[in-house]
Amino acid sequence: MTTIEVSILLAGLLILLVIIGVRVAFATALIGFIGLVIIFAIDKNQGLARGFVTAVKISGQIPHSKTASHVLALIPTFILIGFLAYYAGLTKALFEAAKRWVGWLPGGLAVATVFATAGFAAVSGASVATSAVFARIAIPEMLQLNYDKRFAAGVVAAGGTLASLIPPSAILVIYAIIVEASVGQLLMAGFLPGLVSAVIYAMLIIGLARRNPRLGPPVGGFSWKQRFESVPGALPIFAVVAIIIYCIYFGWGTPTEAGALGAFIVLVLALWRGMRWQNLRGALMETAKLTTMIFTMIWGVLIYVRYLGFADLPGTFADWLSSLHQPPMMTLLLILLAYVVLGMFMDAIGMLILTLPITFPAVMALNGGEGVSAADSALGMSGPECAIWFGIIVVKMAELCLITPPIGLNCFVVAGVRDDISVQDVFRGASPFFIADVVTVAVLIAFPGIVLWLPRLVLG
Amino acid sequence: MSSGNVREDDSALSRADTALFRFEGWLNLAAGLVILGVMLLSVANILGRKLLNWPIPGFIDWMITAVPVMAFLGLAYCQRLGGHIRMDILIGRLRRRPLWIAEFASVILMLFVTGMLIYGSWDHAMRALTIGDSTGDIRLPTWPVKILVPLALALLMVRLLLQAAAYWRAIRDNAVQPVAVPLIEDAATQAAHEAETVSGFEETRG
Repeated sequence: MTTIEVSILLAGLLILLVIIGVRVAFATALIGFIGLVIIFAIDKNQGLARGFVTAVKISGQIPHSKTASHVLALIPTFILIGFLAYYAGLTKALFEAAKRWVGWLPGGLAVATVFATAGFAAVSGASVATSAVFARIAIPEMLQLNYDKRFAAGVVAAGGTLASLIPPSAILVIYAIIVEASVGQLLMAGFLPGLVSAVIYAMLIIGLARRNPRLGPPVGGFSWKQRFESVPGALPIFAVVAIIIYCIYFGWGTPTEAGALGAFIVLVLALWRGMRWQNLRGALMETAKLTTMIFTMIWGVLIYVRYLGFADLPGTFADWLSSLHQPPMMTLLLILLAYVVLGMFMDAIGMLILTLPITFPAVMALNGGEGVSAADSALGMSGPECAIWFGIIVVKMAELCLITPPIGLNCFVVAGVRDDISVQDVFRGASPFFIADVVTVAVLIAFPGIVLWLPRLVLG
Repeated sequence: MSSGNVREDDSALSRADTALFRFEGWLNLAAGLVILGVMLLSVANILGRKLLNWPIPGFIDWMITAVPVMAFLGLAYCQRLGGHIRMDILIGRLRRRPLWIAEFASVILMLFVTGMLIYGSWDHAMRALTIGDSTGDIRLPTWPVKILVPLALALLMVRLLLQAAAYWRAIRDNAVQPVAVPLIEDAATQAAHEAETVSGFEETRG
């Protein structure tokens, strides 16, 4: 058997292990290790005993060497911001402000919910938590005004997904680390697509509410004075966004420092709002647990990636894709379609970490390679730009899985918070937003400038 | 997927589980405090540099020393709660003995990976100790953190052995809800847990 055949076989075995429920981090580490043993024992003629020891030593270095990086400190910081933001009590103020400013539109409260979740996303990188929080705040108000129950629940479930693009986003940092792209530029890149996503959601809501006014009436009657009075409560959020973007944009600090500064502001605010040690302790325990989970996945997959490097499976896959003689855009769409299917059954972070070692080099090759210039490329952007653009697209795709059945977690969370709304109803209510997301992805593919404008400014 | 659903009773196995869990909890809290510390250190660094023109000496060195600490202190804690991501859509459909056989096999595979990594990471740490490896700027020795990796993995191994014993007992008894192992929760129960973590604060604050 050739090295490539062995690596395909091992990839199949990996998929099997994942399907039968082995923890992803350990399944990838195991397959990576077995692969390394085969490489050293057979391909490099070391014999089984020495090949085994070499593989053990190579694998054993990775957990420390791959986590000893200051960029990784950003992930726990962003997770912590999310937990603290809740205690900082910013959610109600945001919703109130959004209601006063955009409530007069058709389906006004739903539009307000979308913009409030987008705003909350700016201090929280966690989609599921965002949905849980707004299910408590926004749904009761909407139901009071006779909004359609399904519609209200769907808006909240979908609104939560905005958290993954608007910085701070932990999932974008994970992407940056796996594909070795610039964290700062990716965070900047997520900002506009996040806004575009929110605007497309809002337009969808307005359109639906116009066609069927029973979905939800507008709420008017706020004076300009009342509108401006609602602003100060929401200001800390804008401060955090401004600080993070300002720091990265003007090179004031590294993304890690910017994230830490944002977290610090939210921490002070949370303490001022009466957060107790019990709350902080709980937030720290949850943050540490999620951090361990993500870091374990990262080093587990990197053991597999080390093997893939020896076996050159990603290179072969990319060559095979380019030999297909079909338009690169077609291939890209097929890859995205695969993500939709995969996303129905897998958790967003797990799906990304597991697939990126193969799909990322493939997409880079489709575009013409790492070092290609924008003029020579197939998709109209340079290599480093393509890395950033694909990150935004793929994270948006991963977020889709939070509102698709059978395991779309956001929908379950909304149904879990509201006993009176069934999961089926939430899924049904969220289904128009699936279409909105497809439109968003199409827009981002058609106009990569939306993704690349801010990072290009930073690049100079 | 997280599941915080572990049953307890007064058997020796379950008591060992809760004792170990207490220890794992302390380590996980320590990881949380390191995360908080790193955040404060970063803030001090950026403010010190910009306002007082005095960055923290060896900031990057401290960071690359701290990050593996947060990555590994909570390793066994996360496993106790079933927090390491996996796809449970298929085995979530199994019940009783077939389920425990699948879980047992999964834990045995993890034991193998963990054992192999303990050896490899120990070797890595010992090499750092022998050659006196240190960080670039203020020369912090790297071996204390490198040695933390096999130690954390060893604790994970203890946790996995305990889980293997618990699953073994569940296979033998054809148990419905065995003790000392995380039980699979469906999406609805998981969601309820997620929602709990952010509940009760808005209401009490009014």
